[in-house]
Amino acid sequence: METTKINYKNIFYPPGGILLWIIIFLELITFGVALIAMVFSAKEDPILFHESRLHLNVTFGTINTVLLLTSGFFMAASVHELKGQRKEKAKKYLLATMLFGVLFLVLKSIEYNAKLDAGLIMGSNTFFTYYWMLTLFHVIHVIVGLVILTSVYFGLKKKNSTTKIEDVEASAAFWHMCDLIWLLLFPVIYLLF
Amino acid sequence: MTKQHIITWVILMILTVTSGLVSQSVAAFVVPVILLLAAFKFIGVAFNFMEMKKANLFWKILIVGYLVVFIGIVYLAM
Repeated sequence: METTKINYKNIFYPPGGILLWIIIFLELITFGVALIAMVFSAKEDPILFHESRLHLNVTFGTINTVLLLTSGFFMAASVHELKGQRKEKAKKYLLATMLFGVLFLVLKSIEYNAKLDAGLIMGSNTFFTYYWMLTLFHVIHVIVGLVILTSVYFGLKKKNSTTKIEDVEASAAFWHMCDLIWLLLFPVIYLLF
Repeated sequence: MTKQHIITWVILMILTVTSGLVSQSVAAFVVPVILLLAAFKFIGVAFNFMEMKKANLFWKILIVGYLVVFIGIVYLAM
């Protein structure tokens, strides 16, 4: 695997690369604006938002946060091992990263299924329109992240791997972005109203 | 895996469980506490897992600035 020393103090080389960080900020702004819109909508009908919020499973939300953060922890560990040229360990941590990501999706599917069974669909009310739009948009990011990580894993697995540390760092930054977005979604949607 | 990664993960777990427990309370301080805990977790992931602490000051200001504006608006609107 090719490794080069990157000077992160250079404004043009944040960890993960400047292009990825532009995307991260665009995503954070998009989700941030949508969440703020949700909070302002709640001001117009606080009782509806409070009663709707009570239909959400805070335990599921908390476990999902634990799963995503644990996944992020293994991702950070994987990048660290790769930088230290310990490829086998890095691959194991990358697999753990993906496993916890998949577990997040499994639990989310169970949660979605319970909502659909209860008839709480996107058109039920304003709260659930925000709930479905924001969480589904986040789930799409997690799925895209898993596809990227799978591609990185198989890239690293090759005997004459051409995967660069910059590629792995960029993938890691995308994966951590899913954590950051969830850390904003979870308190606002599941806890505040 | 570094000691710092492990410490960060443990703190994130404690903050996550605390958020869930605090949200069950009906006290007036619940909203600022939940937002503050979310902000700490956000900073923990950005600086320790994404290695933003190694980045140029510009990126650090940008990420903290974003967080302050977001949390500030949500808090004032609640």
